[in-house]
Amino acid sequence: MISVVGLSHKSAPIDVRERFALPAERVPELLLSVVERPPVGEALLVSTCNRVELVAAPRAGSTLEAVAAASRDALTALAPSTPQQSLYALTGGSAVRHLFGVAASLDSLVLGEPQILGQVKEAYEIARKTGTVGSVLHRTLSRAIRAAKRVRSGTSIGAGQVSVPSVAVDFARRIFGDLRGRAVLLVGSGDMAETTARSLQSSGARLLVIGRTPEKVRALAESFGGEPRAWNDLAAALEVADVVITSTSAPGFVIEPGPVTSARKKRRGKSQFFIDLAVPRDVNPAIEGMDGIFLYNVDDLSRIVSESLLTRGREAAQALTIIDEEAKSFDRWADAEQATPLVVALRERIRVALRIELERSLRGRLRHLGQPERDALETMLDASVNRVLHEPTTRLRQAASASDLDIPAFAELSTALEHVFALDEADAESEPQPSDAAAALAPVSDPLAAKLGQS
Amino acid sequence: MNALATIAFYLGVIAYSAASTLFFLELARQGALGTRAAWGPRVLAVGALFHAVHVVTASMLLNRCPVESLHFGLSFSALVAVAAFLLLRRHANLDPMGVLVAPIALTFLVGAQFVGVEEPEAFVSRPLLMLHVTANVLGLGIFVVAGAAGLLYLLQERRLRDKRAGGVASRLPSLDVLDRATHRLLLSGFPLLTFGVVSGAIFSHHLATSGGAATARTLFGFMTWFLLAAVLLLRKLAGVRGRRAAYGTVVGVLCILLVVVVYAVRPGGPGS
Repeated sequence: MISVVGLSHKSAPIDVRERFALPAERVPELLLSVVERPPVGEALLVSTCNRVELVAAPRAGSTLEAVAAASRDALTALAPSTPQQSLYALTGGSAVRHLFGVAASLDSLVLGEPQILGQVKEAYEIARKTGTVGSVLHRTLSRAIRAAKRVRSGTSIGAGQVSVPSVAVDFARRIFGDLRGRAVLLVGSGDMAETTARSLQSSGARLLVIGRTPEKVRALAESFGGEPRAWNDLAAALEVADVVITSTSAPGFVIEPGPVTSARKKRRGKSQFFIDLAVPRDVNPAIEGMDGIFLYNVDDLSRIVSESLLTRGREAAQALTIIDEEAKSFDRWADAEQATPLVVALRERIRVALRIELERSLRGRLRHLGQPERDALETMLDASVNRVLHEPTTRLRQAASASDLDIPAFAELSTALEHVFALDEADAESEPQPSDAAAALAPVSDPLAAKLGQS
Repeated sequence: MNALATIAFYLGVIAYSAASTLFFLELARQGALGTRAAWGPRVLAVGALFHAVHVVTASMLLNRCPVESLHFGLSFSALVAVAAFLLLRRHANLDPMGVLVAPIALTFLVGAQFVGVEEPEAFVSRPLLMLHVTANVLGLGIFVVAGAAGLLYLLQERRLRDKRAGGVASRLPSLDVLDRATHRLLLSGFPLLTFGVVSGAIFSHHLATSGGAATARTLFGFMTWFLLAAVLLLRKLAGVRGRRAAYGTVVGVLCILLVVVVYAVRPGGPGS
C-alpha cells in the first residue's frame, strides 16, 4: 500500500504552496533523495499549481507510518518554515482513495477539470524514468488512471464549461467550428473581455482591437499581437469580425441594429457571434432576432457557468461511487498481495527439496539418462510444484483478501505454514550450489561434468 | 444467387440497425468521447457493402437493371446517401449526422421490399428511362443527406438561440460546417434534380395513363425544383444562408420525398 503526504489548495494558501513549486528538472533529484531514506521503497511527486503531493510505498519490512514520516521530512526540507498544519498525510486505503480522487479531478479547484489526469500521468512518467517506481506504485497509478477514465466516461463530471471565457470559446466553436483564421473584434477593454479574447486567440483566431483611446488600443493590441483599429472604424470592423466581444464603460448601446444589419449584408449572411460583457450592456438586444446573429451577454454566460458547476457537483456523488468501487478492488488486490512472500517462500522450499532429491537420483541410479530426459525431468519438477501449490496459493490469497469469517484468518494460516515448513529457519534446505546442479543435470556423455558430479 | 441476395439483405439490415444504434448512443452518451465514435461510420460502411451486394445480386436475379424501377431505385438512393455521407465526413466533422443517415438508409432498404418491381412502360425510351431513374436515384440520395444536414442545422441553431450548453447539441457539428455541407449537397444534387424533373415531364406528356395525378406530380416536381433553385439563387445573389436556407432545404427535400411516395402509391403503381 501507499502513503500520500502533501498540500493542496484545500490545506494551504497560495503563498505557502508556491514555496513548494519545484521546477520539473529538479523532481528526479527529489525523488532519488526520497527513496534513499530507509523506509521508502518507491516514490513519485504530483506537482501542479494547486497541489504538491509525494506518493510513496514502503520497502519490505517498513511501515506506512514510517514512509509518511520520511515523506513529510523530505517535503519539509523544500520549505523548512512551512506550518505543519498545511501538510496532510494519508496512509493505506485513505491514501489510495485520495489519489484516485485526485486523478479523477474530484479534489481539483475546478471540479472535473481535465488537466489533472495528464499531470498525474506525467508525474508517473517522470518517476518511472528516474527509476523510483516499483510494482506497488505502478499498480496503484494504473488503477488511479483507470478509475479517472471511468469517472470521465461514466459521468458528466467534465461536462460544460466552468468559466466565462471557456463558455465563449465553446459557443464560438458550435457556431464556426474551427476558429483558426476567424476574426475576433475586441471593443473596449476589461479583464474578462481580454481573457476571453486571449482564449479565442489561442484557438487560432486573429484579433482586432478597437476603443475610444488610441494609446490604450495600441498598447492592448501590442500585448495581444492584435491589430489596432480607430473608433470610427467600428462599422468597417464589424464587417470582418466573426466574433465581437464588447466591454466598454459607455452608458448606452455602442452597437445598434443598423450597423449590424449593414455588416450582415456585406458579410453575405455569414454568422456573427456577439459577446457583450459590459454592464450596462453595449449591444442592443434587438439584433438578437436576426438570422445568423447570436448575442450572449454576461448574464447568459454566467448562467451557463453556474449550470455547469451545478451539474458537475451532482455528478461528483456518482464519481465517488466509482472511486469507491475501484479503491475496493485495489484493496482486494493489495490484501491478496500480502500472501505473495509466503507463497514464494513455500514454492521455493518445495522446489529446492524436490530438486535435491532429483539431483541425488541423477547422480545415482538415473545417471544413464541423457540431456533430453534430464530436461524432461526438470520440466516435470516445475509442473509438479505448480500443481501441488496451486490450491494452497489460491486459498492463501483468498484468506489474505477475505473478510468472510468462514475463511481462516491469513495470520493464522501464515504462522502455521511458516512453522510446518520451517520457512523462518535459516538453516533449512537450501538451493544446491550451481556447480552441483550443473554436474547433476549434465548428461553423462559430458565427461567433465560427470567427473564434477562424482567429486 | 437468391440466397446470396437474401443473406446480403439481412446483413445489410443488421449493419444499418447496429450503425443507427451506435450513432444514437454516441450522441446520447455522457462524459468523454467514447470508442463507439469510430465504430458508427465503419459499421455503416459495412452495411453499405452488404446493401450494394444485395442490390446487384437481386437485380441480376430478376434480370432487371437497378436504375429501371422504383423498387431498386429507392434502395439504390439509400446507398447513394450513405456513400455521400461517408465521403462528406472525410472533409468535415459530420459524424453525428449518421444518427439520421443510418436510419434513413435502413428505412429505404427495408421499404423498397414493399415496392413492387414494375415493368417499364413500353413506349418510353429505355435509355432515357434509365437516365431519368439514375438522375432521380442519385439526386434523392444526395438530397436526403442535405435534408439531414439542414435538420441538424435547425436543431443546433435552436439550441444556440436558447443559450443552452451541453446536451446533444454540443456533440452536433458546428453551424458553419452544417451550412456548408447543406449547400454543397444541394449544388451537387440540383443538376440531377433538374434532369429528373425535365425528363419526368417528358414521360408524363407521353404516358398513356397521363391524367390529373401525373400532371399534379409533374407540377409538384417543378415547384420543388423552383424552391430549391430559389434557395441556391438567394444564397448566391443575396447571401441568404443559415436558418432560412436550412428551412428551404428541408422543405424541398420533404417535397421530393412526397413526389416519390405519390409516384409509388399511384393507382397501378409499384407501391399501390
